[in-house]
Amino acid sequence: MTKSVKVPGRIPAMGPLKQILFMIALLAMTSVFSGCEWGNIGYNKGYAPEQPIKFSHELHAGQYKVQCLYCHSSAERAAHSAVPSVNICMNCHLVVAGPDGKNNIQKVQEAYNNNAPIPWVKVHMLPDFVKFNHEAHVAKFGAPKACHKCHGPVESMETLYQYSNLSMGWCVNCHRQPENQAPVSCSTCHY
Amino acid sequence: MSETTSNTQPQIIEQSNYWMSLEQAQGNPDFAKRAENEFLSSPYASSGQESGQDGFARREFLKYMGASLALATTACVRRPVQRIIPYAKAPLETTPGVSSFYASTWFDGVEGYGTLVRTLDGRPVKMEGNPSDPIGLGGLPVRAHAEVLSLYDPDRLKGPVRNLQNKNRTNHETISGQWADLDTKVQAELAKGSVAILSSTLPSPSAKAIIGDFAKVYPGTRWVQYDAMGNDAVREAARQSFGKAGTPRYRLMNANLVVTIDCDLLGTYGATVETMKAWSVRRKPGKDQLRLVTIESMMTLTGMNADDRIRIKPSQQLAVVEALAGAVASGKDVTLAGVDTVMLSKVATQLRAARGKALVVAGGLQTQTEDAVALQIAVNRLNSSLGSFGSTIDFDSASLTSEGSSSDLATLIADMNAGKIKTLIIHNTNPIFSLPADAGFAEAIGQVPTVISTSNFNDETATHANYVLPTGSTLESWSDYELQTGVFSIQQPTIRPLHESRSFEESLFTWTKAAKGAPARVASSEAWFNYVQGVWKTEILGRASEVRGKSFDEAWVHVLQTGIVTTGGDRNRAGGSRSVAAGAVAKTNRKEPMTGYELVLYPKIQIGDGRYANVAWMQELPDPVTKIVWDNYVSVSPATAEKEHLKLGDVVELQVGAQKLRAPVHIQVGQHDDVLALAIGYGRTRAGRVANNIGVNAMELASFGNGQPVLSGRAVSMKKTGEFYRLVSTQDHHVLEGSVAERQLIAETTNDLWMKNAGSGIHRHKIFSIWPSHTYSKHKWGMSIDLNSCTGCSACVVACQSENNIPVVGKRYIMDGREMHWLRIDRYYRGEVSNPEAIFQPMMCQHCENAPCETVCPVLATVHNDEGLNDMVYNRCVGTRYCSNNCPYKVRRFNWFNYAKNIEAPMHMALNPDVTVRTRGVMEKCTMCVHRIRQATRVGVEARKGGKLVDGSLKTACQESCPANAIVFGDLNDKDSAVAKLFANERTYAVLEDLNTAPRVRYMSRVRNTDKLGYTTGVLAHEAHEAGAHGGETEKDPSQHETPAHPGSEDRKHEEGTSKGEKATHGAFSDPMDAHKFLSNLVGEVRS
Repeated sequence: MTKSVKVPGRIPAMGPLKQILFMIALLAMTSVFSGCEWGNIGYNKGYAPEQPIKFSHELHAGQYKVQCLYCHSSAERAAHSAVPSVNICMNCHLVVAGPDGKNNIQKVQEAYNNNAPIPWVKVHMLPDFVKFNHEAHVAKFGAPKACHKCHGPVESMETLYQYSNLSMGWCVNCHRQPENQAPVSCSTCHY
Repeated sequence: MSETTSNTQPQIIEQSNYWMSLEQAQGNPDFAKRAENEFLSSPYASSGQESGQDGFARREFLKYMGASLALATTACVRRPVQRIIPYAKAPLETTPGVSSFYASTWFDGVEGYGTLVRTLDGRPVKMEGNPSDPIGLGGLPVRAHAEVLSLYDPDRLKGPVRNLQNKNRTNHETISGQWADLDTKVQAELAKGSVAILSSTLPSPSAKAIIGDFAKVYPGTRWVQYDAMGNDAVREAARQSFGKAGTPRYRLMNANLVVTIDCDLLGTYGATVETMKAWSVRRKPGKDQLRLVTIESMMTLTGMNADDRIRIKPSQQLAVVEALAGAVASGKDVTLAGVDTVMLSKVATQLRAARGKALVVAGGLQTQTEDAVALQIAVNRLNSSLGSFGSTIDFDSASLTSEGSSSDLATLIADMNAGKIKTLIIHNTNPIFSLPADAGFAEAIGQVPTVISTSNFNDETATHANYVLPTGSTLESWSDYELQTGVFSIQQPTIRPLHESRSFEESLFTWTKAAKGAPARVASSEAWFNYVQGVWKTEILGRASEVRGKSFDEAWVHVLQTGIVTTGGDRNRAGGSRSVAAGAVAKTNRKEPMTGYELVLYPKIQIGDGRYANVAWMQELPDPVTKIVWDNYVSVSPATAEKEHLKLGDVVELQVGAQKLRAPVHIQVGQHDDVLALAIGYGRTRAGRVANNIGVNAMELASFGNGQPVLSGRAVSMKKTGEFYRLVSTQDHHVLEGSVAERQLIAETTNDLWMKNAGSGIHRHKIFSIWPSHTYSKHKWGMSIDLNSCTGCSACVVACQSENNIPVVGKRYIMDGREMHWLRIDRYYRGEVSNPEAIFQPMMCQHCENAPCETVCPVLATVHNDEGLNDMVYNRCVGTRYCSNNCPYKVRRFNWFNYAKNIEAPMHMALNPDVTVRTRGVMEKCTMCVHRIRQATRVGVEARKGGKLVDGSLKTACQESCPANAIVFGDLNDKDSAVAKLFANERTYAVLEDLNTAPRVRYMSRVRNTDKLGYTTGVLAHEAHEAGAHGGETEKDPSQHETPAHPGSEDRKHEEGTSKGEKATHGAFSDPMDAHKFLSNLVGEVRS
């Protein structure tokens, strides 16, 4: 952490113009190598971490057309759209073994039998100090439509990634559309 | 004219403005200085003062802030990987993020009520009252909220322990144990027989059943109940008077006149929530308004709410009651030396008139004098002659919460000393701390071979025990209660025990089950839970009226859902009248009148007997009367302080007989000059890190009197030591500027004046704005606070603290004015320093429509929303504190430090995840529980209810907890909502209306049922003057005003035209829109 802070201090030999050029070059390089877009700094758009179990939304939601709310049922009842507990997986996987995913399905069954929760990696992280309510959005737009607006074409995602940048500007953009009749006061989300 | 004053006309008293503290009343320059400064200390000063823990290096902080800013802008930083860990097998009833409410019961050994425990993701986060509970009716007292924090107390024992002791029982080494191992050892000890169980009152059917079964397998077991705040005298007097010991239930609903004799009826005596609920209904102004007269030695919450107050000393209690009884019988004036006989005679006359609807109460620690029983018998006689039994005093649904007996305890102590007790089990009581030294309990416990303490802490008593078996919180185990005869409530666990704890009843169950010849119902019950179920099945549900005709399973589900069943029938029917047995004579122990100082020991509403002392919320709550935090103190009257040359914080030495105690002095107005008062429950030494060595243990001055405890009325001497101790009070913090009466912070009137003019006591300002007012198309939130109901009990303050994750800052920072309570209770006095009137005003963010804070925020961190709330956006706030400087109500609080960082595990589990935990450097304030608003009004929910929010379904945390129903919250756009009706009521006014802040929190004037009200200036003096001049002739048709035909119904009907007309003559604009119209008309008139 501290190393990069010291960067400007370690180039005293350069003139002011050179220093500025150096900083610009540094920033450009950082963005190229880290793969983040300008205007997207600090957001996680495109984030697709590896999960402990290679779960494919493309297979479940795309190919087999399992409804979003079948697994993420709390999205219509609660602020959270919770990742399903293992017993939900077992509703099907008690009988469905799957052709090639045996290893993964085995992990699910083991987790269930050992009563050991699966530590999924969180993909969608809102900025701090903001509250989002899934229930309100699902109630307003209905299940797949509301889900798609923010999460994108999940049914085509082999590995789940963050589709939108989840920034405040992005939220407010939708809330401001007159047809949505959504509140834009601060305490809608910040309290 | 004022010279024509008669009984019905108000009597104008010269001299009267409100004052907040003695310093203000006496014109102390310190007060003015403090009132000027919003912030009592400068951050520079405090960071320079101390290094180490408190010395936050501000420059260092700025350096790091710069560094992290540079990092954030130069690199694209991924936030650290976070995990989501869902259940492997999710329990059926949990949805992540959705609260579940469990009906349960809270009982702290003094009072108890039905609760709905709010749990979130499997952990209890808040105590809420259960509206189905016929006793508490959904209200909760201050201490009930402490149960949550007490559950997560990091100082709790994590498992059973053994205290290894030498022969003198002094050397302790504590080693941890295993339940199975300790059970075997304990059972071996129990098998030796001669077991005694010492507990506080256990009004639990299951506990009583298991103790009975336990006694069957361990013969010779005896059970002694003892309460530190017991009502021995009341019970004994009932036994002598009526032949059966008992503590009655007081029914204020039936009372028109209540006279308390040194009894804190609204604060600490009896079922205070039940009392306050009835109080709030019966205090509605009108012909039948309840009148409260308090005759007391020290200033209590009850005295501060009294219409008239008479000062006595404890040794006069009995004489006063007898004099009253004599005057009631004869109809003559009272003659008694040293007491305000004019007022006393008046009270006697009023008691005569109120026959059948009168109530005289004495009780509490203040009445535990040598003549306590005599006093209670005299009170019984008086009540009997007034016909109170069956009407205002009910023995049919008697209170079962204080069955303790000190004389039983005295016998037990004697037996312990005689070696007759082999094993002593101590549960839920702390006799080493709470008994006076002359009880000899500390010596007696050394004579018992085996002592088992079922306590969550290795506390004062538990350290003397061989085995300490933690019982866990009441939120962790099954039990049940019968708090009043015929009212049965269940205690459900709301979380799996956090530590290796097991409830007391479950321990008894385990030991009984393991013994040979266990009774059938124990042997057949698999676990304690099954036993509780069995007790309900066989003993309770068959009699319960709510579940008649239902199968056991249905009935049990009903119990779990509602928490309560009753067997007694209608609780509001008239009870049987009683007369006192001729043999019951008030025999006095003291013959000659006392001179000199008398001691009064009393419990505080927030600390009680000290069992919640380790809960920081309780310590930090300003005492409702004195506003002092984190301490107890000797209260003296201003005259005594002057005589003895005492100032606030001077340490004095009190001496009663040979017992001595040092404590700092607090000067309490309204206290009797010969009284020195000290609160019990403080001075804990082994309670935990919060409470240890806070204050002094007042019980060191009490006498156990061999089973007749004497806590008050003992002769005491006082000596100044020359030492000084800093007492910290919040009374002069956040003072609203200007004269209270002139600026109309408080509006008060008398019942007589109110009946002539419902807007009495309120001056309406002519306010208009040249700007159009805001429009609110959807919701328009508003809150009404009735000063007439509010008793100042402070339950709302703690409820708010619990709901909104408000940090505790500690005594040192309160000294600097940095307390964080969003809701404070301002206390104003008026009148003579020797015996003033008091009034409370809950004060929180007023959510002004024209908010002064909003215009000065440079970063738009506080803005108005489309529902009329004043939003506080924490992540925008940069901490300039301009808003706080500009707030005329002084309700904004600043986070000087990162308080949340100090929250030690597992206490963070008490945080409410719906509310942001604020960080250092941001401003915060009341949000009107906006998270609850969001929950209740989010799209899905509103749709389900037909697009309309049901009035009353959305409550703020303070409103929910209020035992007096003083707070009403709702949507002003809904014309039928309770709050909209209250806003239209003529008693409603806005604080600092002249500033045109147009607050959304409105107050309702206080209507005192008295004929004296000290006003020389302002509207009321004018009104009184008018009334005096014209006599009864000006009395308008009462039908023009809200006539409270049904006291208690909040929705009194107005005649639309009349109220409008009234307003016009006052020239008032309660709504800025009116002002706008007024202005438009004015412009129109000028043009024409």
